Amino acid sequence: MPQAIPDAIRLDGVSKSFRLDDGKTVTALEGIDLGLREGEFVAVLGPSGCGKSTVLRLIAGLETASTGAVRIEGRAPSELAAAHRLGVAFQDHALLPWLSVAQNIALPYRVAGSKVDHARVDALIELVGLTGFRDARPSQLSGGMRQRASIARALVLDPDVLLLDEPFGALDAVTRRHMNVELQRIWGTRTLTTLLVTHSVDEAIFLADRIIVMTGRPGRILREVTVPFPRPRDPSVLRTPEFHALVDELTLALDPEEAAL
Amino acid sequence: MTRLSQFLARNWAVLLLLALWQGWVSLADLNSIVLPAPWPVLRDVLSHPALYLANAAQTLATATAGVAIGLGFGALVAVAAWASRLLAGMLTPLGLIFSSVPVVALIPILARLLGYDISTVVAIVAVSAFFPTFVFVGAGLKDLPRGADDLFSVLGASRAARLRHLVLPAAVPNLMIALRITVPEGVLAAILAEFLMGRSGLGFMFREAASRFAMERALGTSLVVTVAAVLCFSLAHRAERVIRTRWS
Ligand SMILES: Nc1ncnc2c1ncn2[C@@H]1O[C@H](COP(=O)(O)OP(=O)(O)O)[C@@H](O)[C@H]1O
Ligand SMILES: [Mg+2]
Repeated sequence: MPQAIPDAIRLDGVSKSFRLDDGKTVTALEGIDLGLREGEFVAVLGPSGCGKSTVLRLIAGLETASTGAVRIEGRAPSELAAAHRLGVAFQDHALLPWLSVAQNIALPYRVAGSKVDHARVDALIELVGLTGFRDARPSQLSGGMRQRASIARALVLDPDVLLLDEPFGALDAVTRRHMNVELQRIWGTRTLTTLLVTHSVDEAIFLADRIIVMTGRPGRILREVTVPFPRPRDPSVLRTPEFHALVDELTLALDPEEAAL
Repeated sequence: MTRLSQFLARNWAVLLLLALWQGWVSLADLNSIVLPAPWPVLRDVLSHPALYLANAAQTLATATAGVAIGLGFGALVAVAAWASRLLAGMLTPLGLIFSSVPVVALIPILARLLGYDISTVVAIVAVSAFFPTFVFVGAGLKDLPRGADDLFSVLGASRAARLRHLVLPAAVPNLMIALRITVPEGVLAAILAEFLMGRSGLGFMFREAASRFAMERALGTSLVVTVAAVLCFSLAHRAERVIRTRWS
């Protein structure tokens, strides 16, 4: 497919190794070439420890590549963060324990030094289903509720790039499905370049334009799949034979040993 | 009945002490210059409420002023050490050494430096509060919630925003620990300094009474000191607990 516009996010020949305390080094990523077009939704699937979070942290500017380059709009990722245009929901929610849910979600405004839009904060609280918990503190919430609060916080400044690291991992199946539908709806209303790390094949197919399957030790990209379903996607897509065929294909790609059986 | 048994359950140790005190005085037939019985001591306190209250207020005001100054400067210097690696390298070892020096050792030095008056008593209390505050708040500034550092990086936080919205609030529980430690210590430091060099306050009152063998007055002062110290400690302890649950 010819690309008229340059990629919003590019990883070129990226490898990342970590030096451990005992002096050894682990290679977490090797030879990663990945591009996300502006407004594209890409999901990353792979077994745990294969380097998915490391890819996300490189794009967020929290790690620097050992070799190769990571560029967002042709510039260093830290510049996007400095412009308050980056939204990240971390695997371990990272809510501040002394702030209420509403205050946590409003934190990006305060850090950016701009006026808090309380109406927007309340709208997001409702969107993630935490109405009635706006004044609760994180320690009073379940794991799934904390994750939802952290997703609302990632969205509050209306970012241009959204990075989600297994954001629905602690949710029950019904809430997860509901959050998937809501995220799809938000995502359809604006241009938001998104990288979603997930364990769920269903979730990846329902939400993403393109799916990257990774393998571990060292982390590499095994294959890329373009999701054929048109948008907006109704949850009924999840019951079509095409959907199930794609789930099977990706599940096999993730677990090659089963393919040999 | 249950009220009474509750009261007994809570205060049996104090009551036992009073009984032993009374028993010892009666059995050994002690002169009241050596040791007066509990009741005359209590009577002296109750019949001179204004005198005791005025001196207790004086001591508490001195202790409060000193603790506030010590906490304020301790926290300020801890923040300065957070902001500058050079300052941290200089101040941290000093803080650790001085926070383990007992207050008594500092009193003669400070009195020599500042003169023998009330401001010196405040300074002594402030110094006794400064070092533990510096050490605890300094540790609190580095004890951030998991993932918070990464969060502030991706939010594009300036150093000032990081200090204001993350580092300072994170240190509040440790500031409360410093408060819990320095408040009773501050009250004792104030009394000790008043005893050694004061012109008023509970410490001075005790020395003045003891020097003219007014033992009811002297022991009455001790009683008020004990009650004041226990009250301050339990207030500070409660405040710390409230903040700690609010912060976790
Ligand atoms: N800061 C780090 N220090 C050392 N090793 C790390 C660090 N971060 C990640 N790794 C290693 O890199 C590999 C990939 O980790 P990660 O990206 O977290 O995997 P995933 O998110 O896919 O589970 C793992 O082997 C992990 O142990
Ligand atoms: Mg991970």
